[in-house]
Amino acid sequence: MCVGLSAKVVSVKDGTAVIDASGAKREVSADLLEELEPGDYVMVHAGVAIAKITQSDDEETETLLEDLI
Amino acid sequence: MNESIKNARDIITGYKGRKLRIMEVCGTHTHEIFRLGIRKLLPEQVDLISGPGCPVCVTAVGFIDEAVWLTLEKGCTVCTFGDLIRVPGTEMSLAGARSEGGKIKAVYSPLDAVDFAEKEPQEQVVFLAVGFETTTPSACLAVKTAQKKGLKNFSILTANKTMPNAYNALVGSADAFLYPGHVNAITGNAVCKKLCEDKGVSGVVAGFTAGELLTAMAVTLTLADKGEPFFRNCYPRVVKDEGNIPAQKLIAEVMEPCDSEWRGLGLIPMSGMRLREEYAEFDARKKYRMPKITGRPNPACRCGDVLQGKCKPSDCKVFGKVCTPQHPIGACMVSDEGACSAYYQYSGLV
Repeated sequence: MCVGLSAKVVSVKDGTAVIDASGAKREVSADLLEELEPGDYVMVHAGVAIAKITQSDDEETETLLEDLI
Repeated sequence: MNESIKNARDIITGYKGRKLRIMEVCGTHTHEIFRLGIRKLLPEQVDLISGPGCPVCVTAVGFIDEAVWLTLEKGCTVCTFGDLIRVPGTEMSLAGARSEGGKIKAVYSPLDAVDFAEKEPQEQVVFLAVGFETTTPSACLAVKTAQKKGLKNFSILTANKTMPNAYNALVGSADAFLYPGHVNAITGNAVCKKLCEDKGVSGVVAGFTAGELLTAMAVTLTLADKGEPFFRNCYPRVVKDEGNIPAQKLIAEVMEPCDSEWRGLGLIPMSGMRLREEYAEFDARKKYRMPKITGRPNPACRCGDVLQGKCKPSDCKVFGKVCTPQHPIGACMVSDEGACSAYYQYSGLV
């Protein structure tokens, strides 16, 4: 239930976004995100986009580990 | 594997510091850590324990009984996230109610339940609103959408919960918390920072990919070994310090805090959410004048201890014998996020 789904925004209209998650498309609510545009990546939870995200987690690890030093 | 993730893995496997107990607050973390084999990388002095962050697992038995009452006594169509359907109630689960003629429908989103209510006006639809801060906004959006559409046949049964008071109840049960990334995506990091500053509670916000979990674990081990309380956001691509402000405003507009019963932890004051009076027509307990229903958990089940990190699933006498995913006794064996389910699935018992 708490598993998030990362997906690419295909279109946005009237508070609803069509997302593409690894090829599967569905409509989700975009009411909780401001300035959402096609091409953005989002984290979707229970049919609602809850956060704008970066496409991959590659840079996260590098930055966080550098901060440890 | 990129170089940074290798470094994170090397930090974990090379850890030679003090003994540590780390609590995965989120049930999905428990499963992903098992599934990705991260447990096998950990040195023996690092112990992972599961926490109360599986919303299905902490939902009280009485809530299932309430949902059963709504469908069997009032004829409502109960819409729910699928993983609640097999959670045992006092007399029966929702699956059991379905076999006795109850109308139970699995949905992916509360908004799907609103669509169903709109398409089937002859049905009285009740959505089972469980979950933490991550899920609560979607239930609030469903209520607002139903109100906008003028639907009179939609309501929700709330058992929404909030994490801050649960964290307070868990202080001292672990040396560090892996905080649930998707809760913090909504709430932001203020609560976790305050726990660190005021009570010396250490923790990191963790994501869910292999890289994110390895990083979170490497950061935890490195900082825990230094001995000072710490907080780090190890999921910055999703979690911002301030969280999702429109979601926070929506929750505050539609719901208000209330006392809430957690399976295993008992009643935690102001740890739940209920609809505000302005939305009373969407409150299933009020709409159907529900009597007080108190559940009785199976005394053999130790889900409560598991959820507090007091024991591991394998310490429970019924685990893997009487209680299996096919015939669950407790909620932690039912949900895909439940600790007992994870231990069973990855323990070689299946």
